[in-house]
Amino acid sequence: MDEPVKMKKADGYQMCVKTIMDTTDEDIMFDDNGICNHYYKYKRLEPYYTYKGKETDLELEKIVEQIKKSGKGKDYDCLIGLSGGVDSSYVAYNAKKLGLRALTVHFDNGWNSELAVKNIENIVKKLNFDYQTWVVNWEEFKDLQLAFIKASVANIETPTDHAFLAALYRIADKYHIKYILSGSNFVTEGILPTSWGYNAKDLTHLRAIHKRFGKIPLKTYPTLGLYKELYYTYFKKIKMIRLLNYLPYVKSEAMKTIQTELDWKYYGGKHYESVFTRFFQGYILPVKFNIDKRKAHLSTLIMSGQITREQALQEIQKPPLTKEQINEDKIYVTKKLDLTLEEFDQIMQQKPKKYNQYPNNEKIRNWVYKIYNKIKYKQ
Amino acid sequence: MIAIVDYNCGNIGSVKKMIEKSGGKAIITNHLEDINKAEKIILPGVGAFDTGMTNIKDFNLLESLNENILVKKKPILGICLGMQLMTLKSEEGKLNGLSWINAEVKKFPAGADIKVPKIGWDYITIQKDNPLFNNYQENPRFYFVHSYFVESQDETIITARSKYHHIDYTSAFNKDNIYGVQFHPEKSHKFGMQLLKNFLAI
Amino acid sequence: MMLPRVIPVLLLKGNGVYKTEKFKNPKYIGDPINAVKIFNEKEVDEIIILDIDATANKQINYKLIEDLAGECFMPMSYGGGITSIEEIKKIISIGVEKVSINSAALNNLEIIKNASLQFGSSTIIVSVDIKKNLFGKYEIYNANKIKIKDNLIDYCKKIEAYGAGEILINNVDKDGTMTGYDFNILKTITENVNIPVIACGGAGKLEDFKHAIEYSKCSAVAAGSMFVFHGKHRAVLINYPSQNELKNLFEH
Repeated sequence: MDEPVKMKKADGYQMCVKTIMDTTDEDIMFDDNGICNHYYKYKRLEPYYTYKGKETDLELEKIVEQIKKSGKGKDYDCLIGLSGGVDSSYVAYNAKKLGLRALTVHFDNGWNSELAVKNIENIVKKLNFDYQTWVVNWEEFKDLQLAFIKASVANIETPTDHAFLAALYRIADKYHIKYILSGSNFVTEGILPTSWGYNAKDLTHLRAIHKRFGKIPLKTYPTLGLYKELYYTYFKKIKMIRLLNYLPYVKSEAMKTIQTELDWKYYGGKHYESVFTRFFQGYILPVKFNIDKRKAHLSTLIMSGQITREQALQEIQKPPLTKEQINEDKIYVTKKLDLTLEEFDQIMQQKPKKYNQYPNNEKIRNWVYKIYNKIKYKQ
Repeated sequence: MIAIVDYNCGNIGSVKKMIEKSGGKAIITNHLEDINKAEKIILPGVGAFDTGMTNIKDFNLLESLNENILVKKKPILGICLGMQLMTLKSEEGKLNGLSWINAEVKKFPAGADIKVPKIGWDYITIQKDNPLFNNYQENPRFYFVHSYFVESQDETIITARSKYHHIDYTSAFNKDNIYGVQFHPEKSHKFGMQLLKNFLAI
Repeated sequence: MMLPRVIPVLLLKGNGVYKTEKFKNPKYIGDPINAVKIFNEKEVDEIIILDIDATANKQINYKLIEDLAGECFMPMSYGGGITSIEEIKKIISIGVEKVSINSAALNNLEIIKNASLQFGSSTIIVSVDIKKNLFGKYEIYNANKIKIKDNLIDYCKKIEAYGAGEILINNVDKDGTMTGYDFNILKTITENVNIPVIACGGAGKLEDFKHAIEYSKCSAVAAGSMFVFHGKHRAVLINYPSQNELKNLFEH
C-alpha cells in the first residue's frame, strides 16, 4: 500500500483512526483520512519481516542449516539473549525445537525481578541449555543510569540496551559463535516512534552524557563503538537473527506455550521483568515525557491482527501501574540509585530534552551503514 | 495509629516496616501520650524476662499499659517476649509479669537432642477460630526463636499450639482484647503479613 | 516437625556481593540490595550477610546494612567487623535480627557473654572458620591471623558456655567448591555442644543439606555458591529450592 502523498502534522491532539498512535509522538503525521504514518510504514515493511507461510518456512530451514553448519565441532552453534520475558523465552523454546545447540546468556544489570530470575531458571533447566551471565558492575552502571536520568532524555534505557548488545557480541566472539538469536520481532514491536527513544548503539552519545552527569569512570562497563560493531559484524561475521520474524508469532499463544511447557510466569506488562523498566515505562515516561509506550506496542498488535482497536483502546484506559505499585517501585528505585525522594521529584520536574541536544554520532553512523549496505549488496 | 512500645527490648524497626507494608500506620514510642492516643498497641520483645519487666517499669509504662489494656480495652498484640511478659511469671526471671493472662513461662529442657533456643520456621495448630488467623489459604508457618515457652492453665484462651520435640506449648493466646503470639510475624513473610493485616482489621 | 533452616549467605566486599573459592579469588555477583530483594521474594528462611572486608578496614557499612534489612521480611543476620556492644546495639536497631561475631570472639569471649546478657543469646551467633592443617586435622582459621590456645572443639564448648545462641561453622577448604560439606567434622562439633550449629562451606546439592541435618545433626544449613550460581559455567543466577522441594527433601 503506497503512502498517500499528502501527510501533515496535526493541529492539536489527534489519534490515528487505524492504530492508537497519537500526537504524543511529536513527529506523527496524518493523511486526510486521519491515518498516521506508522500505519503506512508497517504495511510497507510487513512483507519483509513477517511470516508468510511455506516460503518463510523454507527461509528458516536454510538459516537453521547455516547455523548448524557454522557450529560444527564447536560447543555451541548459536547464542540466545535471555531476559525472562516472553519474546526471548519463546525464542529459546523454538531454538530447542529446531535442534539448535544454544548458549543462553543473561545480561544482569542489577534490576532483575524474582519472576525474571525464576523464569530464566526454568527455561534453562527445562530446555537443558548451557548458561552464562554478564553481570555489569553495579556501581558503574548506577552512575551511568543516573547520568541518563539527569540528562532528561527519553532514551533512559540506553545504558542497559547498549551494554546488553556489547555483552552478547563479546560472549559470542569468545565462544566462536556466529549467530545471535534475538527476541526482537516485527509483529509486536514494529511500530516505535524515533522521538520516543534513540539508537542505543551510539557510544558517542553515551559517553557524552556520562561525562556531563556521571562521576565514576566506566572501567568494566562493556561498550560497542562503531568500529567494534563493524569488527564483529563485518570481520567476525557474527549475525543477528530475529527468529520470531520467521515464525507465525502470536503473543498470546506464545505465552500459553511457554507457560505450559516451561512453567513460565507472567509479570504484568511488557518488559516488566525488570523493576527499573517497569517503573520507567509505567511512571517516568508517562509523567515526565507524556509518552505511553503501550500505544506503540498495542498499535503493532492491531496491525498484526492480534487485537482489535477497541481492545487496544480499552487497555490504554487502564493505568500502566497501580498507585501502590508506583509507590513501592519509587521507594525501591530511589533507594537503589541513592536518591532522596525530593531529588527524584526535582529531576522529574526538569524539562525533557531530545537526544540530539547532546553530542551524538547519528550522522556518521547513518553514513557508515549506507556504505556498509552498499558493499554488502554488491557482494 | 498503632503504637509499638519501645522499651529497649529488641528489633522494633521490622515490626513497623511490616505494619506499613500491610497498610497500617505505626509509631515507635515509649511516650504516654502516644500510647494513650493509639487505637491499638503492639508489645514486641527479644531478650530476658526480668530485663523486659524492669524496662517497662523504668520507662513508666506500667500504669499506662494497664489502663489502656484492662480499662480502655484497646487491642494489644504481644510478640515473643512481649507475649511472655503478659503472663504471671517466668522461670527465666524473678519478677512478676504483667499478669493479664493466666499462664506461666517455662524453659525448654536443653539436651543432646533438644537444641535450645528453638530457632526456625514451624507450623501452628489453630485451636479455634480467631480473628488473628483469618484468611489463610494454606496452613500458616512462622518464624520462632525462643528458649522459653508459654504454658497456659486456661484452655479457653489458647488459640494456637506448637510443638518442640515432645513439648506441646501455647504459641498463641487471646483473652478479650489481649493477643499474644510466641513467633515473629514481622519476620514471617506473607504469613506474618496476613496476621498483622488481621490485627489491623480487629 | 520443624523443617531445618536453609540459609543463603551473601559475602559483601565494598558495596558489592562477591563469591570466593577457599576464601580467595572473589568473583563479582552483583548489587546486594537487589540480591536480597530477590531472596526475600523467594521467601527464604533466613539470610546471612557477611562483610569480608569490615574487620580489616575497621568499618561497618551501616547504611548498606539498613538498606538490606529494609528488603527482608525474614530474619537477617549480619557479621563483619563487630567488636563492641555499641556496634551490636546499632546494628540491631536498624532492623537486623542477629549478629555474627568471629575475630572479636577469638580475641576475647567476654564480648559474647556481655552481648548475650544484654540482647538475648538467640541474637548472638559466633562464627568459626575452620581449615585443615598439614596433618589433615581441622584447626581454627582466622584471616586476621588471630591465634588461640584452644583446639576447635574446646573453643566451640567455650562459645556455648559464654552464652552464644548459635555457632556458624565456615569451612575454608570447602568454600565455593560445591563438593559437599565435611560431614564428619560437623558431626564431631554437634556432638560436643547443645546449641544449634549452622553448616557452611561446600554445599553443592540438596542431598548435602539432608546429610548435614540427619547425619551431622546440624540445626541449619547455609550455602553461598549453590544459591547464586547455575550450570557448568558457574554463571550468576539467584536460586533457592521451593517449599515443596524442601519438604520432600527433609520429610522423606
